[in-house]
Amino acid sequence: MKAKRIDHIGIVVKDLDAAIATYARNFAFSRDTARGGEVPALGIKNAFMPVGGSDLEFIEPTSDSGPVAQFAKDRGEGTFMLSIEVENIDAAVSHLRGLGARVGDPVNGVAFVSMKSTHGVNLQLVQR
Amino acid sequence: MAVNPTHIDHIVISSNDSSTVAKTFQDNLGIEIKRKMIRPGTSAQLAFAKLREVILEFAGPPEVKPGEEVKAKLWGMVVAVDDIDASVADLREKGYVVGDPTKAVQPGAEIATVKGGTSGVPFAMIQYNALPIEGAQ
Repeated sequence: MKAKRIDHIGIVVKDLDAAIATYARNFAFSRDTARGGEVPALGIKNAFMPVGGSDLEFIEPTSDSGPVAQFAKDRGEGTFMLSIEVENIDAAVSHLRGLGARVGDPVNGVAFVSMKSTHGVNLQLVQR
Repeated sequence: MAVNPTHIDHIVISSNDSSTVAKTFQDNLGIEIKRKMIRPGTSAQLAFAKLREVILEFAGPPEVKPGEEVKAKLWGMVVAVDDIDASVADLREKGYVVGDPTKAVQPGAEIATVKGGTSGVPFAMIQYNALPIEGAQ
């Protein structure tokens, strides 16, 4: 398997609108308004700010359960997840499982690698 | 003059065993480690890989202490800017606490750390070609 590029960094925030406004006003990042919004199935809402060939994804929990809510409870705000683009998600998952890594089934081109298999880094694989 | 980052220059993964974590990413994800070095003035080891324009930096002690579990976390990011002095001045004017630009480990580059106001993200800015490269003609 070959990692292609950094797709995005996920950043958990307490107030999505405030974080976006801060990064836009003070750092001149621009929001991609075509993406993001409420994702009830994940208990989050998100927004994307592209920079170079990657994105920052700002994520606010909208429920009390799930990994984002847990991160917010434990750490407040901060870097949450690294997302790496791969050529073929199914092949990547098979490859990692063959090496003994714990990886979730791909859903809509996205799979999560267990933090137990990355020494604690929250890692997402994505096929574009 | 705003910061105007051109791209994410590097993402830092910190750990208590940078060799093992870098090797895990290399072996499992095919991310080739291109360079290793000891951070000047410290015993911390830095290992670098590059995915397109973004560097993945694995930072921490070169190996875990006996009996300790290897633990890593996604730490922070460094964005590239065209004019670090102007970026630092702009952020200070907006009330940010920003360190003075200092020589980075990348040849000819200067780096400045932004202390707070980034939604909990450890955040720095880097400018390449900010300094003469030693040994260059």
